[in-house]
Amino acid sequence: MTRLVEKRTVDMEIIGDWVEPGTRVLDLGCGAGALLDYLVQTKQVAAVGVDLDFQKIAACVRRGLAAYQGDMTDFLRAFPEKHFDRVICSHTVHELADPATVILEALRVGRALTVGFINHGFWKNRLNTLMQGRKIRNEVYTTEWFESRPANPVTIADFEDFCRTRGIRIARRAHLAGNWRTPCRARPNLFAGYALYDLAK
Amino acid sequence: MTDDLELPPAQPAATPRHLAPGEVGLVAPRDFVYPRPFTFKSGQVIPGFTLRYETYGTLNATRDNAVLICHALSGDHHCAGWHSPGDRKPGWWNNLIGPGKAVDTGRFFVICANVLGGCQGSTGPSSLNPETGRPYGVHFPFVTVADMVRSQRLLCEHLGVAELHGVIGGSMGGMLALLFAIECPRFTRRVLAMATTGRESAQAIAFNEVGRQAIMQDPAWNHGDYPKDGGPRVGLAIARMMAHITYVSDASMDRKFGRRKKDTANNDAYTFEPQFEVEGYLRHQGQSFINRFDANSYLYITRAIDQFDLTDAYGSLEQAFAPVEAETLVVGFTSDWLFPPEQNRQLALALLRAGKQASYAELATDLGHDSFLLESEDLYALVRGFLERDQPYTFDYAI
Repeated sequence: MTRLVEKRTVDMEIIGDWVEPGTRVLDLGCGAGALLDYLVQTKQVAAVGVDLDFQKIAACVRRGLAAYQGDMTDFLRAFPEKHFDRVICSHTVHELADPATVILEALRVGRALTVGFINHGFWKNRLNTLMQGRKIRNEVYTTEWFESRPANPVTIADFEDFCRTRGIRIARRAHLAGNWRTPCRARPNLFAGYALYDLAK
Repeated sequence: MTDDLELPPAQPAATPRHLAPGEVGLVAPRDFVYPRPFTFKSGQVIPGFTLRYETYGTLNATRDNAVLICHALSGDHHCAGWHSPGDRKPGWWNNLIGPGKAVDTGRFFVICANVLGGCQGSTGPSSLNPETGRPYGVHFPFVTVADMVRSQRLLCEHLGVAELHGVIGGSMGGMLALLFAIECPRFTRRVLAMATTGRESAQAIAFNEVGRQAIMQDPAWNHGDYPKDGGPRVGLAIARMMAHITYVSDASMDRKFGRRKKDTANNDAYTFEPQFEVEGYLRHQGQSFINRFDANSYLYITRAIDQFDLTDAYGSLEQAFAPVEAETLVVGFTSDWLFPPEQNRQLALALLRAGKQASYAELATDLGHDSFLLESEDLYALVRGFLERDQPYTFDYAI
């Protein structure tokens, strides 16, 4: 049998660092369950994932993860306050139709919320828009406008402003450079490619 | 469940289908006779009971590779293989169960029993009451899903099963599977419930009641007292015709029949002879059902389904699921309007609220309630993945 190997990524590592061992973790937009599997193996969490796609759920079931196929807002509404120790919304928030509802519901059912998103304010994106005047197409933004899901390009400045106005406390933040590997320390809204936030309410 | 599953294409004559690789082949039912008094949930007692069952595959040395299959209202113990080379059809879930199939009989010891209260060889209202020497009829104790579960647990123990690797069922079979997890938590490692519910809606109860009324209003029912080959044949056929409609969907009936006329249809439209193919089909469904099903069993089992109510029995779904130790997977089907996806979803959500390992998957089909019998590679992969699971992934920590 071939050995199944999953690549650990830097954002996975940071998300894992923020997870307390043995806690109850919910991953919104869990995909095939790579992150949850990593958290189960390294932090022994009780994991649940939510995704819309049948094949993704089947992949989670194959690796022994609990996963729910359906709408994440409906899912969150079915749980009492602080049912989960941490909710994770990684690589997902910019694809949501109603991000505010998801984030606030996630903060209701979770004691903490990790949000990870692509920083649309990254300088290459700004330059691209300025120079090309077209929807960005690169290794991050892979789809044409007519074939993509509703996208909500969000920047670090937008996100922090949102947290401020909604009374959401930012406990920790991590900004990664354009390579999504090395930390970005200065002017993140311009120089960070990926942003991670540890939130509470 | 319906009688007209899509059949696999016939094997060439050189390889009889029952001998084909990947099939369980010829199988024979057996009887488990429980010789001691059995007290039903209602408090009523019978001096003993029989469950007719089949098994495929081999129980392993640790006696923990058994998978119990639970059938729906009109199903039986014959869920895979053929009873004789001339059989027109294999067991009702043959597409799922067999060597190398989603429920792999090369790996698992598969058990399926006709439910208590049934009429395919297990003790039920058509069995002889030893006290009178005549069929029990309506003097048979009221059967609940819990009684079905308890009797099948006794069968599993009789077969030497230490713990069930999994319990799988659709529709009423899903109710049994869920109740196994609740009532036998240490015995049940995995539960896969499809197209099922924690309690029926008013609409589903209503359909069952129309079926029961069709039977009971037939004079030949005679308060449940009828000879073995007689009884309310008209009423039972009508009950089946109506129930059959609830197992499929508008789209699937339209695809299968549309408004097509029967070849034999009289050109004269002003008659009540069957004109549309769908009419002839339903009549055939009704007629074939009365030759294999007992009307009193139909009353008893639909009653058991109607009374199944986890919320009412345990106070709430979360309390019902509190003892569960099994990993659970609930599967809903988009076109199922009898036990719709929402009712299946609620089961998974309640299991998760109770802190259990629970998954929910939904298949987009247009075949209605009977979709769980679907020939679908997606469903097979899901079932196999749940029962067998991949090896653990290893993470490449070199970033």
